[in-house]
Amino acid sequence: MKFFDPLPRLKPAEECSCGHQHAPRVGDASQAMPVVEVIQGEVAFNGTPILRGVNLRIPRGEIVALIGPNGSGKTTLLRSILGLQRLDAGEVRLFGSSDLPSVMSRVGYVPQKLSLDRSFPLSVREFLALRLKKTRSWFWQTPRTIEDAIRPTLVEMGVEPLLDKPIARLSGGQLQRVLIAFSLLQEPDLLLLDEPTAGVDSPGEQSFYEMIGRVHQLHQLTVVLVSHDLSMVYRHASWVYALNGVICCEGTPEQVMNADSLKQAYGIHVAPYHHHHHAH
Amino acid sequence: MLTEAYMQRALAAALLLGPVCALLGVFVTARRLSFFSDTIAHGALAGVAIGIWIGLTNLTIPMILFSLCVAAAMIWLKENTELLTDSIMALLLSGSVALGILILSLVRSNRGELHSYLFGDLLAIEWQDVIIAAVLAAIVAFGLFRWLTPITLMTVNEDLATVNCVNVRRLNYGFVLLLTVTVALSIRLLGIVLVTSLLVIPPAIARPLSVNLRHQLILSVLAGFLGCFGGTVLSWQLNVPCGATIVLTCITLFIIALIFSKLRPRLIHPSP
Repeated sequence: MKFFDPLPRLKPAEECSCGHQHAPRVGDASQAMPVVEVIQGEVAFNGTPILRGVNLRIPRGEIVALIGPNGSGKTTLLRSILGLQRLDAGEVRLFGSSDLPSVMSRVGYVPQKLSLDRSFPLSVREFLALRLKKTRSWFWQTPRTIEDAIRPTLVEMGVEPLLDKPIARLSGGQLQRVLIAFSLLQEPDLLLLDEPTAGVDSPGEQSFYEMIGRVHQLHQLTVVLVSHDLSMVYRHASWVYALNGVICCEGTPEQVMNADSLKQAYGIHVAPYHHHHHAH
Repeated sequence: MLTEAYMQRALAAALLLGPVCALLGVFVTARRLSFFSDTIAHGALAGVAIGIWIGLTNLTIPMILFSLCVAAAMIWLKENTELLTDSIMALLLSGSVALGILILSLVRSNRGELHSYLFGDLLAIEWQDVIIAAVLAAIVAFGLFRWLTPITLMTVNEDLATVNCVNVRRLNYGFVLLLTVTVALSIRLLGIVLVTSLLVIPPAIARPLSVNLRHQLILSVLAGFLGCFGGTVLSWQLNVPCGATIVLTCITLFIIALIFSKLRPRLIHPSP
Protein backbone atom coordinates (compact mmCIF):
# COMPACT_ATOMS: atom_id res chain seq x y z
CA MET A 1 0.00 0.00 0.00
CA LYS A 2 1.25 3.44 -0.86
CA PHE A 3 0.95 5.85 1.99
CA PHE A 4 0.49 9.58 1.80
CA ASP A 5 3.15 11.95 2.86
CA PRO A 6 1.81 13.99 5.76
CA LEU A 7 -0.37 16.76 4.46
CA PRO A 8 0.82 20.29 5.03
CA ARG A 9 -0.79 21.60 8.23
CA LEU A 10 -3.34 24.01 6.98
CA LYS A 11 -5.13 26.47 9.17
CA PRO A 12 -8.33 24.67 10.05
CA ALA A 13 -11.70 26.12 9.34
CA GLU A 14 -12.97 28.40 12.11
CA GLU A 15 -16.30 26.65 11.77
CA CYS A 16 -16.71 23.07 10.62
CA SER A 17 -19.42 21.88 8.31
CA CYS A 18 -21.68 20.99 11.24
CA GLY A 19 -21.67 24.61 12.33
CA HIS A 20 -19.70 23.75 15.47
CA GLN A 21 -17.16 26.31 16.60
CA HIS A 22 -13.81 24.74 17.33
CA ALA A 23 -11.14 26.24 19.51
CA PRO A 24 -8.83 28.36 17.38
CA ARG A 25 -5.45 26.84 16.63
CA VAL A 26 -2.72 28.44 18.67
CA GLY A 27 -0.20 29.36 16.02
CA ASP A 28 1.20 27.09 13.40
CA ALA A 29 2.42 23.71 14.61
CA SER A 30 5.85 24.31 13.22
CA GLN A 31 6.30 27.41 15.38
CA ALA A 32 4.58 26.83 18.77
CA MET A 33 5.89 24.17 21.13
CA PRO A 34 3.61 21.17 20.64
CA VAL A 35 1.87 19.67 23.67
CA VAL A 36 2.40 16.19 22.25
CA GLU A 37 5.18 15.24 19.90
CA VAL A 38 6.05 11.79 18.59
CA ILE A 39 9.21 11.57 16.52
CA GLN A 40 9.75 8.50 14.33
CA GLY A 41 7.89 6.29 16.83
CA GLU A 42 8.21 2.55 16.24
CA VAL A 43 6.62 -0.33 18.13
CA ALA A 44 6.59 -4.02 17.27
CA PHE A 45 4.94 -6.91 19.11
CA ASN A 46 6.72 -10.25 18.66
CA GLY A 47 8.40 -9.02 15.52
CA THR A 48 5.16 -7.70 14.00
CA PRO A 49 5.43 -3.95 13.45
CA ILE A 50 2.49 -2.01 14.90
CA LEU A 51 3.80 1.54 14.53
CA ARG A 52 6.32 2.40 11.84
CA GLY A 53 8.02 5.78 11.84
CA VAL A 54 5.07 7.67 13.29
CA ASN A 55 5.44 11.44 13.51
CA LEU A 56 2.88 13.49 15.38
CA ARG A 57 2.75 17.11 16.54
CA ILE A 58 -0.26 18.32 18.49
CA PRO A 59 -0.35 22.01 19.34
CA ARG A 60 -2.11 23.42 22.39
CA GLY A 61 -5.88 23.74 22.41
CA GLU A 62 -6.82 21.21 19.74
CA ILE A 63 -9.29 18.34 19.81
CA VAL A 64 -7.34 15.71 17.92
CA ALA A 65 -8.81 12.39 16.82
CA LEU A 66 -6.73 9.31 16.04
CA ILE A 67 -8.73 7.17 13.65
CA GLY A 68 -7.99 3.94 11.84
CA PRO A 69 -9.19 0.37 11.43
CA ASN A 70 -8.84 -2.31 14.11
CA GLY A 71 -5.19 -3.18 14.68
CA SER A 72 -3.97 0.05 13.09
CA GLY A 73 -2.03 1.01 16.23
CA LYS A 74 -4.31 3.79 17.56
CA THR A 75 -4.36 2.55 21.12
CA THR A 76 -0.66 1.62 20.96
CA LEU A 77 0.12 5.18 19.89
CA LEU A 78 -2.01 6.60 22.71
CA ARG A 79 -0.30 4.29 25.21
CA SER A 80 3.10 5.34 23.87
CA ILE A 81 2.19 8.99 24.38
CA LEU A 82 1.31 8.16 27.99
CA GLY A 83 4.54 6.23 28.53
CA LEU A 84 2.56 3.01 29.07
CA GLN A 85 4.08 1.45 25.97
CA ARG A 86 7.82 1.69 25.43
CA LEU A 87 8.83 2.72 21.91
CA ASP A 88 11.31 0.40 20.18
CA ALA A 89 12.67 3.44 18.39
CA GLY A 90 11.87 7.11 18.31
CA GLU A 91 10.82 9.52 21.03
CA VAL A 92 7.74 10.93 22.72
CA ARG A 93 7.74 14.43 24.16
CA LEU A 94 4.98 15.95 26.26
CA PHE A 95 5.11 19.70 26.85
CA GLY A 96 8.59 19.61 25.33
CA SER A 97 9.91 17.07 27.83
CA SER A 98 10.93 13.50 27.08
CA ASP A 99 10.89 12.70 30.81
CA LEU A 100 7.24 11.61 30.72
CA PRO A 101 6.75 10.76 34.43
CA SER A 102 7.80 14.32 35.35
CA VAL A 103 4.93 15.85 33.33
CA MET A 104 2.23 13.26 34.10
CA SER A 105 0.66 15.58 36.70
CA ARG A 106 -0.44 17.74 33.73
CA VAL A 107 -2.09 14.80 31.97
CA GLY A 108 -5.55 13.30 32.37
CA TYR A 109 -6.30 9.85 30.97
CA VAL A 110 -9.64 8.17 30.36
CA PRO A 111 -9.17 4.44 29.69
CA GLN A 112 -11.65 2.59 27.52
CA LYS A 113 -12.89 0.48 30.44
CA LEU A 114 -11.94 -0.62 33.92
CA SER A 115 -11.13 -4.28 34.34
CA LEU A 116 -12.79 -4.11 37.72
CA ASP A 117 -14.61 -6.95 39.42
CA ARG A 118 -18.29 -6.03 39.71
CA SER A 119 -18.24 -6.94 43.39
CA PHE A 120 -15.55 -4.33 44.23
CA PRO A 121 -17.51 -1.77 46.28
CA LEU A 122 -15.31 1.32 45.68
CA SER A 123 -17.78 4.22 45.54
CA VAL A 124 -17.56 7.09 43.08
CA ARG A 125 -16.77 9.40 46.04
CA GLU A 126 -13.84 7.20 47.11
CA PHE A 127 -12.63 6.86 43.54
CA LEU A 128 -12.58 10.62 42.97
CA ALA A 129 -10.79 11.11 46.30
CA LEU A 130 -7.87 9.03 44.96
CA ARG A 131 -6.97 11.81 42.53
CA LEU A 132 -6.47 14.72 44.94
CA LYS A 133 -3.62 15.22 47.35
CA LYS A 134 -5.84 16.63 50.09
CA THR A 135 -8.17 13.62 49.95
CA ARG A 136 -5.49 10.95 49.61
CA SER A 137 -6.17 9.87 53.20
CA TRP A 138 -9.83 9.32 52.22
CA PHE A 139 -10.14 6.29 54.48
CA TRP A 140 -9.87 8.53 57.55
CA GLN A 141 -11.91 11.45 56.17
CA THR A 142 -15.64 12.04 56.45
CA PRO A 143 -17.77 11.80 53.28
CA ARG A 144 -18.56 15.52 53.65
CA THR A 145 -14.84 16.50 53.69
CA ILE A 146 -14.25 14.56 50.47
CA GLU A 147 -17.37 15.99 48.85
CA ASP A 148 -16.35 19.56 49.70
CA ALA A 149 -12.94 19.03 48.08
CA ILE A 150 -14.37 17.70 44.81
CA ARG A 151 -17.64 19.68 44.62
CA PRO A 152 -16.85 22.07 41.69
CA THR A 153 -15.95 19.17 39.41
CA LEU A 154 -18.93 17.14 40.63
CA VAL A 155 -21.29 19.94 39.68
CA GLU A 156 -19.59 20.60 36.36
CA MET A 157 -19.74 16.96 35.28
CA GLY A 158 -23.16 16.29 36.79
CA VAL A 159 -21.94 13.29 38.75
CA GLU A 160 -23.26 14.38 42.16
CA PRO A 161 -26.13 11.85 42.12
CA LEU A 162 -23.62 9.05 41.50
CA LEU A 163 -21.38 9.78 44.50
CA ASP A 164 -22.41 6.80 46.60
CA LYS A 165 -22.74 4.31 43.74
CA PRO A 166 -20.08 1.61 43.31
CA ILE A 167 -17.91 2.53 40.35
CA ALA A 168 -18.02 -1.06 39.06
CA ARG A 169 -21.79 -0.82 38.60
CA LEU A 170 -21.97 2.37 36.52
CA SER A 171 -23.29 2.34 32.97
CA GLY A 172 -20.83 3.07 30.13
CA GLY A 173 -21.90 6.72 29.88
CA GLN A 174 -21.85 7.30 33.64
CA LEU A 175 -18.41 5.73 33.91
CA GLN A 176 -16.97 7.97 31.19
CA ARG A 177 -18.41 11.03 32.98
CA VAL A 178 -16.82 9.94 36.26
CA LEU A 179 -13.48 9.18 34.59
CA ILE A 180 -13.41 12.64 33.01
CA ALA A 181 -14.31 14.20 36.38
CA PHE A 182 -11.43 12.21 37.87
CA SER A 183 -9.03 13.65 35.28
CA LEU A 184 -10.30 17.22 35.67
CA LEU A 185 -9.80 17.23 39.44
CA GLN A 186 -6.10 17.89 38.92
CA GLU A 187 -6.68 20.58 36.26
CA PRO A 188 -4.75 18.83 33.48
CA ASP A 189 -3.52 20.59 30.35
CA LEU A 190 -3.85 17.49 28.21
CA LEU A 191 -6.68 14.95 28.21
CA LEU A 192 -6.28 11.61 26.43
CA LEU A 193 -9.26 9.34 25.84
CA ASP A 194 -9.13 5.78 24.51
CA GLU A 195 -12.28 4.87 22.53
CA PRO A 196 -14.36 6.85 25.01
CA THR A 197 -17.73 5.98 23.50
CA ALA A 198 -17.24 2.23 23.13
CA GLY A 199 -20.21 0.68 24.92
CA VAL A 200 -22.20 3.93 24.93
CA ASP A 201 -25.45 4.12 22.96
CA SER A 202 -25.93 6.60 20.11
CA PRO A 203 -27.69 9.43 22.01
CA GLY A 204 -25.19 8.97 24.84
CA GLU A 205 -22.37 9.25 22.33
CA GLN A 206 -23.72 12.54 21.00
CA SER A 207 -24.04 14.09 24.46
CA PHE A 208 -20.63 12.73 25.40
CA TYR A 209 -18.89 14.55 22.54
CA GLU A 210 -20.84 17.73 23.36
CA MET A 211 -19.58 17.42 26.92
CA ILE A 212 -16.00 16.99 25.67
CA GLY A 213 -16.47 20.18 23.63
CA ARG A 214 -17.65 22.08 26.72
CA VAL A 215 -14.83 20.74 28.90
CA HIS A 216 -12.33 21.57 26.18
CA GLN A 217 -13.47 25.17 25.96
CA LEU A 218 -13.91 25.76 29.68
CA HIS A 219 -10.57 24.28 30.75
CA GLN A 220 -8.56 25.33 27.67
CA LEU A 221 -7.51 21.71 27.25
CA THR A 222 -5.74 19.87 24.51
CA VAL A 223 -7.78 16.72 23.85
CA VAL A 224 -6.52 13.60 22.08
CA LEU A 225 -9.03 10.84 21.50
CA VAL A 226 -8.95 7.50 19.81
CA SER A 227 -12.16 6.93 17.92
CA HIS A 228 -13.72 4.58 15.44
CA ASP A 229 -16.80 6.73 14.90
CA LEU A 230 -16.04 8.79 11.81
CA SER A 231 -19.21 10.88 11.88
CA MET A 232 -18.55 12.02 15.46
CA VAL A 233 -14.92 12.77 14.61
CA TYR A 234 -16.11 14.74 11.60
CA ARG A 235 -18.31 16.92 13.75
CA HIS A 236 -16.25 17.42 16.86
CA ALA A 237 -12.51 17.10 16.16
CA SER A 238 -10.40 20.02 15.00
CA TRP A 239 -7.61 17.84 13.60
CA VAL A 240 -7.53 14.21 12.54
CA TYR A 241 -4.73 11.67 12.19
CA ALA A 242 -5.64 8.61 10.12
CA LEU A 243 -3.47 5.73 11.18
CA ASN A 244 -2.68 2.33 9.76
CA GLY A 245 0.70 1.43 11.19
CA VAL A 246 1.93 4.74 9.84
CA ILE A 247 0.19 8.09 9.71
CA CYS A 248 -1.63 7.72 6.38
CA CYS A 249 -2.88 11.27 6.38
CA GLU A 250 -3.63 14.15 8.67
CA GLY A 251 -5.61 17.32 8.44
CA THR A 252 -8.91 18.91 9.32
CA PRO A 253 -11.86 16.51 9.38
CA GLU A 254 -12.95 17.88 5.98
CA GLN A 255 -9.54 17.12 4.48
CA VAL A 256 -9.17 13.65 5.96
CA MET A 257 -12.74 12.49 5.53
CA ASN A 258 -12.62 12.39 1.78
CA ALA A 259 -12.98 8.98 0.31
CA ASP A 260 -9.40 8.72 -0.99
CA SER A 261 -7.82 9.49 2.38
CA LEU A 262 -10.01 7.05 4.20
CA LYS A 263 -9.41 4.40 1.58
CA GLN A 264 -5.69 4.77 2.29
CA ALA A 265 -6.28 4.29 6.00
CA TYR A 266 -8.96 1.62 5.96
CA GLY A 267 -8.09 -0.13 2.69
CA ILE A 268 -11.75 -0.17 1.63
CA HIS A 269 -14.23 2.40 0.45
CA VAL A 270 -15.74 4.17 3.42
CA ALA A 271 -17.32 7.53 3.85
CA PRO A 272 -18.34 9.37 6.96
CA TYR A 273 -21.99 9.14 7.84
CA HIS A 274 -23.52 12.58 8.22
CA HIS A 275 -26.19 13.00 10.83
CA HIS A 276 -28.97 15.27 9.64
CA HIS A 277 -30.19 16.27 13.06
CA HIS A 278 -27.89 18.62 14.96
CA ALA A 279 -28.57 18.86 18.66
CA HIS A 280 -26.39 21.92 19.16
CA MET B 1 -8.35 -22.39 78.22
CA LEU B 2 -5.87 -19.50 78.29
CA THR B 3 -3.80 -21.13 81.04
CA GLU B 4 -2.44 -23.49 78.39
CA ALA B 5 0.68 -21.98 76.80
CA TYR B 6 0.01 -23.56 73.41
CA MET B 7 -3.49 -22.08 73.43
CA GLN B 8 -2.11 -18.61 74.19
CA ARG B 9 0.24 -18.95 71.24
CA ALA B 10 -2.50 -20.26 68.94
CA LEU B 11 -4.97 -17.51 69.87
CA ALA B 12 -2.33 -14.79 69.55
CA ALA B 13 -1.33 -16.06 66.09
CA ALA B 14 -4.97 -16.45 65.00
CA LEU B 15 -5.96 -12.97 66.16
CA LEU B 16 -2.96 -11.45 64.39
CA LEU B 17 -3.15 -13.40 61.13
CA GLY B 18 -6.96 -13.42 60.75
CA PRO B 19 -7.36 -9.62 60.40
CA VAL B 20 -4.17 -9.34 58.31
CA CYS B 21 -5.40 -11.97 55.83
CA ALA B 22 -8.83 -10.31 55.79
CA LEU B 23 -7.31 -6.90 55.02
CA LEU B 24 -5.12 -8.25 52.21
CA GLY B 25 -8.01 -10.43 51.04
CA VAL B 26 -10.11 -7.42 50.01
CA PHE B 27 -7.52 -6.60 47.34
CA VAL B 28 -6.62 -10.23 46.61
CA THR B 29 -10.22 -10.99 45.63
CA ALA B 30 -10.72 -7.70 43.76
CA ARG B 31 -7.52 -8.36 41.78
CA ARG B 32 -8.49 -12.02 41.22
CA LEU B 33 -5.37 -13.32 42.97
CA SER B 34 -7.05 -16.12 44.95
CA PHE B 35 -5.58 -18.88 42.78
CA PHE B 36 -2.21 -17.11 43.01
CA SER B 37 -2.43 -17.37 46.83
CA ASP B 38 -3.40 -21.03 46.55
CA THR B 39 -0.34 -21.71 44.40
CA ILE B 40 1.92 -19.97 46.94
CA ALA B 41 0.36 -22.06 49.73
CA HIS B 42 0.93 -25.32 47.88
CA GLY B 43 4.45 -24.19 47.04
CA ALA B 44 5.10 -24.12 50.78
CA LEU B 45 4.81 -27.92 50.89
CA ALA B 46 8.08 -28.25 49.00
CA GLY B 47 9.62 -25.76 51.47
CA VAL B 48 8.45 -27.93 54.37
CA ALA B 49 9.88 -31.05 52.72
CA ILE B 50 13.24 -29.38 52.07
CA GLY B 51 13.33 -28.15 55.69
CA ILE B 52 12.71 -31.69 56.99
CA TRP B 53 15.27 -33.09 54.55
CA ILE B 54 18.05 -30.80 55.76
CA GLY B 55 17.06 -31.41 59.39
CA LEU B 56 15.63 -28.03 60.48
CA THR B 57 13.49 -27.97 63.62
CA ASN B 58 11.47 -24.84 62.77
CA LEU B 59 10.16 -25.08 59.25
CA THR B 60 8.67 -21.58 58.99
CA ILE B 61 11.72 -20.04 57.33
CA PRO B 62 12.18 -22.67 54.54
CA MET B 63 8.41 -22.55 54.00
CA ILE B 64 8.46 -18.76 53.52
CA LEU B 65 11.60 -18.92 51.34
CA PHE B 66 10.20 -21.58 49.02
CA SER B 67 6.86 -19.76 48.74
CA LEU B 68 8.79 -16.63 47.75
CA CYS B 69 10.63 -18.67 45.08
CA VAL B 70 7.29 -19.88 43.72
CA ALA B 71 5.91 -16.30 43.67
CA ALA B 72 9.06 -15.03 41.90
CA ALA B 73 8.82 -17.88 39.35
CA MET B 74 5.17 -17.00 38.71
CA ILE B 75 6.01 -13.33 38.07
CA TRP B 76 9.00 -14.20 35.89
CA LEU B 77 7.05 -16.67 33.77
CA LYS B 78 4.18 -14.19 33.40
CA GLU B 79 6.48 -11.39 32.28
CA ASN B 80 8.79 -13.43 30.06
CA THR B 81 6.62 -16.08 28.42
CA GLU B 82 3.32 -16.14 26.61
CA LEU B 83 1.84 -18.80 28.89
CA LEU B 84 -1.61 -18.13 30.28
CA THR B 85 -1.63 -17.08 33.94
CA ASP B 86 -3.80 -20.08 34.84
CA SER B 87 -1.36 -22.46 33.14
CA ILE B 88 1.60 -20.92 34.99
CA MET B 89 -0.13 -21.30 38.34
CA ALA B 90 -1.29 -24.87 37.67
CA LEU B 91 2.23 -25.77 36.56
CA LEU B 92 3.90 -24.36 39.68
CA LEU B 93 1.23 -25.66 42.04
CA SER B 94 1.44 -29.24 40.83
CA GLY B 95 5.23 -29.00 40.44
CA SER B 96 5.88 -27.89 44.01
CA VAL B 97 3.41 -30.39 45.49
CA ALA B 98 5.06 -33.17 43.48
CA LEU B 99 8.52 -32.04 44.65
CA GLY B 100 7.30 -31.95 48.27
CA ILE B 101 5.80 -35.44 48.09
CA LEU B 102 8.92 -36.84 46.44
CA ILE B 103 11.30 -35.41 49.04
CA LEU B 104 9.04 -36.48 51.93
CA SER B 105 8.86 -40.02 50.58
CA LEU B 106 12.67 -40.12 50.29
CA VAL B 107 13.32 -38.85 53.83
CA ARG B 108 10.45 -41.01 55.21
CA SER B 109 9.16 -38.30 57.55
CA ASN B 110 6.37 -39.19 59.94
CA ARG B 111 2.89 -38.66 58.50
CA GLY B 112 1.73 -36.61 61.51
CA GLU B 113 4.09 -33.79 60.63
CA LEU B 114 2.86 -33.68 57.03
CA HIS B 115 -0.74 -33.84 58.26
CA SER B 116 -0.21 -30.79 60.50
CA TYR B 117 1.06 -28.75 57.54
CA LEU B 118 -1.75 -29.87 55.27
CA PHE B 119 -4.60 -29.20 57.70
CA GLY B 120 -3.17 -26.84 60.35
CA ASP B 121 -2.22 -27.61 63.94
CA LEU B 122 -2.67 -25.48 67.05
CA LEU B 123 0.06 -27.35 68.90
CA ALA B 124 2.60 -26.63 66.18
CA ILE B 125 2.56 -22.85 66.67
CA GLU B 126 5.60 -21.57 68.54
CA TRP B 127 6.36 -18.19 70.11
CA GLN B 128 8.74 -17.53 67.24
CA ASP B 129 5.77 -17.85 64.83
CA VAL B 130 3.71 -15.48 66.97
CA ILE B 131 6.50 -12.88 66.97
CA ILE B 132 6.87 -13.14 63.17
CA ALA B 133 3.07 -12.85 62.84
CA ALA B 134 3.05 -9.71 65.03
CA VAL B 135 5.81 -8.07 62.98
CA LEU B 136 4.04 -9.08 59.77
CA ALA B 137 0.69 -7.72 61.01
CA ALA B 138 2.33 -4.38 61.80
CA ILE B 139 4.03 -4.24 58.39
CA VAL B 140 0.88 -5.18 56.45
CA ALA B 141 -1.33 -2.74 58.37
CA PHE B 142 1.21 0.08 57.97
CA GLY B 143 1.93 -0.74 54.31
CA LEU B 144 -1.71 -1.07 53.28
CA PHE B 145 -2.83 2.16 54.94
CA ARG B 146 0.31 4.05 53.88
CA TRP B 147 -0.19 3.02 50.24
CA LEU B 148 -3.97 2.57 50.28
CA THR B 149 -4.55 5.15 47.54
CA PRO B 150 -1.99 3.72 45.06
CA ILE B 151 -3.08 0.13 45.80
CA THR B 152 -6.73 1.05 45.23
CA LEU B 153 -5.88 2.89 42.01
CA MET B 154 -3.83 -0.09 40.83
CA THR B 155 -6.82 -2.35 41.58
CA VAL B 156 -9.13 -0.07 39.56
CA ASN B 157 -6.84 0.13 36.52
CA GLU B 158 -3.07 -0.32 36.31
CA ASP B 159 -2.70 2.12 33.39
CA LEU B 160 -4.68 4.78 35.22
CA ALA B 161 -2.48 4.24 38.27
CA THR B 162 0.70 4.60 36.18
CA VAL B 163 -0.53 7.87 34.67
CA ASN B 164 -1.21 9.03 38.23
CA CYS B 165 2.48 8.56 39.05
CA VAL B 166 2.12 5.18 40.79
CA ASN B 167 5.06 2.83 40.26
CA VAL B 168 2.77 -0.11 39.52
CA ARG B 169 5.55 -2.64 39.05
CA ARG B 170 7.23 -1.89 42.37
CA LEU B 171 3.91 -1.77 44.20
CA ASN B 172 2.89 -5.11 42.67
CA TYR B 173 6.13 -6.71 43.88
CA GLY B 174 5.60 -5.28 47.37
CA PHE B 175 2.03 -6.56 47.45
CA VAL B 176 3.05 -10.05 46.29
CA LEU B 177 5.87 -10.15 48.86
CA LEU B 178 3.51 -9.32 51.74
CA LEU B 179 0.89 -11.73 50.42
CA THR B 180 3.42 -14.57 50.13
CA VAL B 181 4.79 -14.13 53.65
CA THR B 182 1.26 -13.83 55.09
CA VAL B 183 0.06 -16.99 53.32
CA ALA B 184 3.16 -18.98 54.33
CA LEU B 185 2.79 -17.95 57.97
CA SER B 186 -0.92 -18.69 58.08
CA ILE B 187 -0.28 -22.28 56.99
CA ARG B 188 0.64 -23.24 60.59
CA LEU B 189 -2.85 -22.21 61.62
CA LEU B 190 -5.05 -23.32 58.72
CA GLY B 191 -2.94 -25.72 56.74
CA ILE B 192 -1.94 -25.64 53.09
CA VAL B 193 -5.31 -26.90 51.90
CA LEU B 194 -7.42 -24.26 53.64
CA VAL B 195 -5.23 -21.19 54.01
CA THR B 196 -6.65 -19.31 51.00
CA SER B 197 -10.07 -19.32 52.62
CA LEU B 198 -8.85 -16.81 55.20
CA LEU B 199 -8.10 -14.40 52.34
CA VAL B 200 -11.35 -15.01 50.49
CA ILE B 201 -14.13 -15.55 53.07
CA PRO B 202 -13.81 -12.43 55.31
CA PRO B 203 -14.09 -10.01 52.33
CA ALA B 204 -17.02 -12.10 51.11
CA ILE B 205 -18.68 -11.75 54.54
CA ALA B 206 -18.13 -7.98 54.44
CA ARG B 207 -19.24 -7.45 50.85
CA PRO B 208 -23.05 -7.77 51.15
CA LEU B 209 -22.97 -5.53 54.23
CA SER B 210 -20.79 -2.81 52.65
CA VAL B 211 -21.80 0.19 50.57
CA ASN B 212 -18.23 1.28 49.90
CA LEU B 213 -14.62 0.12 50.13
CA ARG B 214 -14.08 1.71 53.53
CA HIS B 215 -16.92 -0.38 54.96
CA GLN B 216 -15.62 -3.53 53.31
CA LEU B 217 -12.12 -3.05 54.73
CA ILE B 218 -13.42 -2.45 58.27
CA LEU B 219 -15.99 -5.27 58.21
CA SER B 220 -13.57 -7.68 56.59
CA VAL B 221 -11.01 -7.16 59.38
CA LEU B 222 -13.79 -7.64 61.94
CA ALA B 223 -14.94 -10.84 60.20
CA GLY B 224 -11.36 -12.16 60.09
CA PHE B 225 -10.97 -11.43 63.80
CA LEU B 226 -14.29 -13.06 64.78
CA GLY B 227 -13.81 -16.07 62.48
CA CYS B 228 -10.33 -16.80 63.82
CA PHE B 229 -11.26 -16.22 67.46
CA GLY B 230 -14.44 -18.32 67.27
CA GLY B 231 -12.77 -21.03 65.21
CA THR B 232 -9.73 -21.37 67.49
CA VAL B 233 -11.86 -21.53 70.66
CA LEU B 234 -14.23 -24.09 69.11
CA SER B 235 -11.31 -26.13 67.86
CA TRP B 236 -9.91 -26.33 71.40
CA GLN B 237 -13.27 -27.11 72.99
CA LEU B 238 -14.30 -29.76 70.48
CA ASN B 239 -10.75 -31.10 70.04
CA VAL B 240 -11.03 -30.91 66.25
CA PRO B 241 -8.61 -29.53 63.59
CA CYS B 242 -8.12 -25.80 63.94
CA GLY B 243 -8.05 -24.84 60.22
CA ALA B 244 -11.31 -26.60 59.43
CA THR B 245 -13.06 -25.06 62.44
CA ILE B 246 -11.91 -21.53 61.53
CA VAL B 247 -13.10 -21.98 57.94
CA LEU B 248 -16.50 -23.34 59.00
CA THR B 249 -16.91 -20.50 61.53
CA CYS B 250 -16.16 -17.99 58.75
CA ILE B 251 -18.65 -19.71 56.43
CA THR B 252 -21.30 -19.54 59.17
CA LEU B 253 -20.62 -15.79 59.49
CA PHE B 254 -20.91 -15.50 55.70
CA ILE B 255 -24.33 -17.19 55.70
CA ILE B 256 -25.51 -14.89 58.52
CA ALA B 257 -24.25 -11.82 56.61
CA LEU B 258 -25.94 -12.99 53.43
CA ILE B 259 -29.29 -13.60 55.16
CA PHE B 260 -29.04 -10.24 56.94
CA SER B 261 -28.27 -8.40 53.70
CA LYS B 262 -31.29 -10.01 52.01
CA LEU B 263 -33.58 -9.22 54.94
CA ARG B 264 -32.25 -5.71 55.56
CA PRO B 265 -34.40 -3.91 52.96
CA ARG B 266 -37.49 -5.57 54.46
CA LEU B 267 -36.43 -4.65 57.99
CA ILE B 268 -35.83 -1.01 57.02
CA HIS B 269 -38.92 -0.71 54.78
CA PRO B 270 -41.40 -3.37 56.03
CA SER B 271 -44.17 -4.06 53.54
CA PRO B 272 -47.63 -3.02 54.84
